[in-house]
Amino acid sequence: MSDDRSLWNPYTPLSPGLRRGLGIGSVLLVLGIWAVAAALALVGPNKLPAPWKVAEAFVYLAWDAENQRSLLLTATMWSVGRILSAFVLTLLIGIPIGVIMGASPRINAVLSPLIDPFRSAPVVALLPIMVMWFGIGESMKVVFLFIGAVVYLIPMVRDAMQAVPQSHWIAARDLGATPWESVRLAVLPMAMPRIADGVIVATSVMWTYITVAEYVNAREGLGQLIQNARRFSAMDQVFAGIIVIIALALITYQLMQMIKRKLFPWETQQ
Amino acid sequence: MSISVEIKDIVQEYPKPDGKGVTRVCDKISLAFDEPGINMLLGPSGCGKSTILRMMGGVRPIGVQTPTSGTVLIDGKPCDGAHDDAAMVFQRYSNRPDLTVRENVAFPFRMKLWKKKVPKAESEKRVTDILAAVGLADKHDLQPAQLSGGQNQRVALARALVLRPRILLMDEPFSALDAQIRQEMQALLVKLYEMQPCLIVFVTHDVTEALTLGDRVITLSTQPARVADDFRITEPRPRSAIWARSTEAVKMEERILNILHAANPGRGELTVTV
Repeated sequence: MSDDRSLWNPYTPLSPGLRRGLGIGSVLLVLGIWAVAAALALVGPNKLPAPWKVAEAFVYLAWDAENQRSLLLTATMWSVGRILSAFVLTLLIGIPIGVIMGASPRINAVLSPLIDPFRSAPVVALLPIMVMWFGIGESMKVVFLFIGAVVYLIPMVRDAMQAVPQSHWIAARDLGATPWESVRLAVLPMAMPRIADGVIVATSVMWTYITVAEYVNAREGLGQLIQNARRFSAMDQVFAGIIVIIALALITYQLMQMIKRKLFPWETQQ
Repeated sequence: MSISVEIKDIVQEYPKPDGKGVTRVCDKISLAFDEPGINMLLGPSGCGKSTILRMMGGVRPIGVQTPTSGTVLIDGKPCDGAHDDAAMVFQRYSNRPDLTVRENVAFPFRMKLWKKKVPKAESEKRVTDILAAVGLADKHDLQPAQLSGGQNQRVALARALVLRPRILLMDEPFSALDAQIRQEMQALLVKLYEMQPCLIVFVTHDVTEALTLGDRVITLSTQPARVADDFRITEPRPRSAIWARSTEAVKMEERILNILHAANPGRGELTVTV
């Protein structure tokens, strides 16, 4: 057997067809096991609803004919709106802070002890504090998402800046740039693709925190939808809600990757 | 054009990696350049040539005081920081990958210093002219990733020359290129120099390159670096292959190699390209 086809060759090129086939196959396999387990009633329906029950719940959530409304659409709009607000806030505050930290070891020494520890801190535990500070309205939810994401974004932006070889800074200095101009004109543009990676990670983090953000006093939203369903022991709806969140997070991720490739086509050619 | 660069009794020491004591890289080096010309600074890798070049450029390596002692004078005035008389071309060309060739060459004009000094219309014209001169006029819209190594180095050279520097400092700019491309670049440099004469200090460890380009060849020993030899070549450029095999050229080559071997038997890296 040639090395091209060996299982243990990390450099094997994989055709898109085969990759998709294997991916879909693994999802179908899990779905199959899930269906069999449900059909044979191996697990109680209150713990693990059958896939078709989840599908039914999804259809009901997507369009409730009786009341002429789409619970899912409304919930999604609310959640997306909150994430979007937090996203803008995270970018506007996180990127400049990360950039100046990456551009100056002195500023980094001052700020990093205030920011880095939160990467491993239980941000969820901050929720009660958020409630105390910002009340139980919208601003609390947005600020919570913002805090959760920005503590990831800032260090990633900083690291992206520091990863740019010094030669770029020196070359700009030599051409007559001031130190700050060298940062702005030579280092920052080189760091942009990795900064974009940081933005993508931070957005994924927000999707994972959305249910927590909507834990307290949310009238609308995907997290609230799941809460509500759980309260009424509608496990099929809980599952449907979780799957929708995962799907939205995946779509966001793919979309942002696409935008990143469009913005920085030179990165892969380096 | 008048220009004078003088370095006096330059001593450079770097702390040893183990933190105990210092290594002396340059030992009381004095050199004076007082007219336009191509000056070759020749010596084995790691002998301190680049250190001297950087001192003249004013951009200092980080974390060490440079020079440890001695002075660099430009037009008689001490130079102790970045200045705009000199432009530098490195082996690593540091072109912005997200900008086109033209934007890369015009890059310095994004800086306050040059925006103030050169009006927009003139900078545009200078960029167009230098792109034609380095042979990239038809490639002005491409990005660095679409260019070869030699073409990228042309961009870096154009980006330095567009500033019309009185001093052009070149730190082994062609040593990463294939032999044939290197020869093309050497010919281009000679052409550009004739169009826009300035004081060029060109660091190399390639004896052939030094003899092909130099009006003056300064040979350094190692380590610490001292000026071991300093002579002029009067043969006009471009220098033919016949001249390169002449008694005069061969003697110069032997003279340099003897000095380098005598100063450092078995140390450093030296190349002679044939």
